[in-house]
Order: sequence, then structure tokens, then C-alpha cells
Amino acid sequence: MKALAAWIEDRLGLRPVAAFMAKKEVPCHKHTFLYYTGSSILLFLGIQIVTGVLLAFYYRPTLAEANVSVVRIMTELPLGWLVRSVHSWSATLMIALVFVHLLGIAFTKAYRKPREATWLTGVLLLGSSLAFGFTGYLLPWDELSLAATKVGTNLPKALPVIGPWLTQVMRAGEDVTGDTLSRFFILHVCVLPLALLAILGIHVFLVQRHGMSVPLEAERDKIKLPALPFWPNFLFREAGVWLVLLGILLTIAVFMAPGVGPQADLMAPAPEGIKPEWYFLFMFQTLKLFPALILGLNGEMIAVLVMMAGMAAVLLLPFIDNRPFERKGKIVTALAWAGLAYALGMSIWSLL
Amino acid sequence: MSGQRRAIAAAGIVLLGALLAAGWLDARVQQESPTALKTAADAPGLEKPAAARPAKERMAVTVILAWVWLSIVVLLGFLRLRVREADRVHRMGLHRAGEGAPKGPGH
Repeated sequence: MKALAAWIEDRLGLRPVAAFMAKKEVPCHKHTFLYYTGSSILLFLGIQIVTGVLLAFYYRPTLAEANVSVVRIMTELPLGWLVRSVHSWSATLMIALVFVHLLGIAFTKAYRKPREATWLTGVLLLGSSLAFGFTGYLLPWDELSLAATKVGTNLPKALPVIGPWLTQVMRAGEDVTGDTLSRFFILHVCVLPLALLAILGIHVFLVQRHGMSVPLEAERDKIKLPALPFWPNFLFREAGVWLVLLGILLTIAVFMAPGVGPQADLMAPAPEGIKPEWYFLFMFQTLKLFPALILGLNGEMIAVLVMMAGMAAVLLLPFIDNRPFERKGKIVTALAWAGLAYALGMSIWSLL
Repeated sequence: MSGQRRAIAAAGIVLLGALLAAGWLDARVQQESPTALKTAADAPGLEKPAAARPAKERMAVTVILAWVWLSIVVLLGFLRLRVREADRVHRMGLHRAGEGAPKGPGH
């Protein structure tokens, strides 16, 4: 065994990594619970990779077979419905945790110097997660997913100059067809996972490089906070959180398994009550609120531009609020609360 | 009765309850007549998505879920003990005990 360990060490040279992990410490303070969200996101990502591979064994991304193969997974394959349900719910929980993680960082101002790049990669990870959700929604190829994808891919069309081209690229043509399905499938199982893993690698490296942030008061008053060793004290606590989350995920997946609707018909009119996934609801409702014309300009275009400006502001937050770390930043806190209240309010309104 | 004994007794009762529940559920499944699978393809125009599955599989999954939660509770108990031990070692400073020690030949 020792010879094997020595052989591996000679080839990989993991001793510095092990030494780093042994020395790594986690600060203890009132926001320590936020540290658990990062690793929990990784847990759900791992579950999605495993269940996604299992689903890919049987899923067929063609116009004729997509819906039938999903129905087959759910009704004929042993525990297929459960695998799909776990895949779907772990995605939902992961995105919810990504939002909590990002909001926690925004409220605690942990994006400030020297963690700007960590924030940038984090927002890109949120974007990739949402893209996973968007591309995955079409794959069952039922009436609702087709209609929702038509609405979603139609949005960029409102942008001047590049809009129609962007929509065409997303749809692989003028309209949502079998080519769109193939494109979304490849994006979902190949392009996005590669992009996400690459960004995630940089994100995790940056988190280790700069260490975990501490509350503003502690930074300002140079208070030395108590710290826990990462191994084993913090990791055992994290393992407890993972176990509970795993139990919650399985329980939800068993009792609230998602179904699959009737096969999509490209010629059929859009069904009533089209709704996107919950994380797009606030954008969906915002779009509905904008009138067709605003001061003679296309209302949809203005809505899309406003939303893009909002996204750009979130992405570039560390450069907008680039004050020293110990400053409170009440305006950003107020804006973050207002944004959260707006997103929640709009989502609830959309559901009513 | 000490806290540890109470915990063991409670775990025993939960375990026994889970076994009884599993047996009762299994007996119910065996009494049920086998139902035919109904797929979305067989029921076009269905508003509620079809997610029919055999009653036996549904029951089995529910029983397994109960066992999963029981295992989680037991594992959480173990983890709690390990965390307390690790925290004790940390408080006493024993986790750094080996750092200043002189290293032997060959190191």
C-alpha cells in the first residue's frame, strides 16, 4: 500500500495539496452557514452529472423519438422515473442554492478586492446553470416545452442588428424544429458541461487562492475570528449538511416526480398557460408588463435591453462598487434587497 | 437512563417501526391487483402528464426512502460524535501537536 502511495505521489505530486488542505481553516462567524452553500452546489452538480449520464443512455434527441424515449424512461425502465425526477429536482435545488450563494456574497460584500474574479466566475456559473435549465427544458419535447422554447428563443429577436441572427443561431433555423432539439441536446450534454467545469475549476482555485471572506466588521476592526480546521472539523459538518440535502432531494423526487406531456406538434397552436421554469418567471412577467410601444420604440426591445443592463450590472458589480472591503455599502445592500423583492414579487405574480 | 441509552432505545424503536411499516406496505402491495401501465403515448391529449408506474415499485421506493432517512439519522449521529471529538482535539490544540516535533532521520 505504501509503495502504491509512493508511486502515485511520484507521478502526481499531491503532497502540497494535502498539506494545504491540512492547514486550511474556515472562519467562524454569523455568516458561516453561507460557506455550506458552495459545497452543496457541487453535491447537486455531481448528482446531475451521474443522473444525466444515466438518462443519456436512453434518451434520443430526434423529433420522432425524443418524447417517446422520455415516456419510455419514465414508464418502462426500472426506476427511470426516479432518475429523471432526481435529475430535474437536483437542477432546481442547485439553481436555488446558486442564487442563495450569490445573494449571500452580494450582501456580505465578499465580491470586493481581491475577489472580483471569483465573483465574475460565480456569475458566469449562474449563467451556465440557467442555460442548462433552458436547454434541458426542451428535451422532453412536449407541448409546453416547445411553446416555452419558442417564447424564450424569440426574445433576442427584439435586439437591434444582431437580434434576428442570435435567434437563428439558437434555433438552428427560422423556427424551433428538430434541429433546435439536436442543438439544445448537444449544448446540454456537451458544450455547457465543458464550459461549466472549466469555469468551476477557476472559481474553486480562486476561492482557495484568496481564502474565505469574513464579515465587514471583523475586517474593519481587524478582529481575529475563531477558525475551524477544514479537515476534519468543517468537512464533517459539511457531510452532515450533504446527507440532509440528499434526503430532502430524494423525498421530493419520490413524491413530486415531474411528468411528461403529450408530444409536441410543430403545427399546433401554443397551449394555454405557458410558463417557463421558476427561475425565469420574473423575466417572463417583466416582459408581459412592457407595452408594445414606448415613445415610439419597440417595447420588447426596451425590455430586453433593460434586462441585459441588469445582468451586466450584476456581472460587473465588483467594479461598480469598488470601495475598500471594510466599507458598508448600504446602497448595494438596498439594491440587492430591492432586486430580490422584485424577483420574488414578479415570480409570485406570474404564478397567480 | 443516560442520554446514550435513550438514543439507542429511540433508534431501536424507530428501526422496529420502520420494519413493521415496511412489512405492512409490502403486504398491501401484494393484495393490490396488478395495474396496467399507462403511458403518455397511450393517452394523447392528457393534460396531467402521465407518470404511471407499478404499484409495487412505488411502494418499494417509499420503503427504501424510509430506510434512507433512517440511515441518514444514524450517519448524522456518527458524524456528530466525530465532530465533537474533532472539536475537542482542536480546542486542546492537539491537531498542531506534531508540527513542532523534531523530525527523524530520512525526513
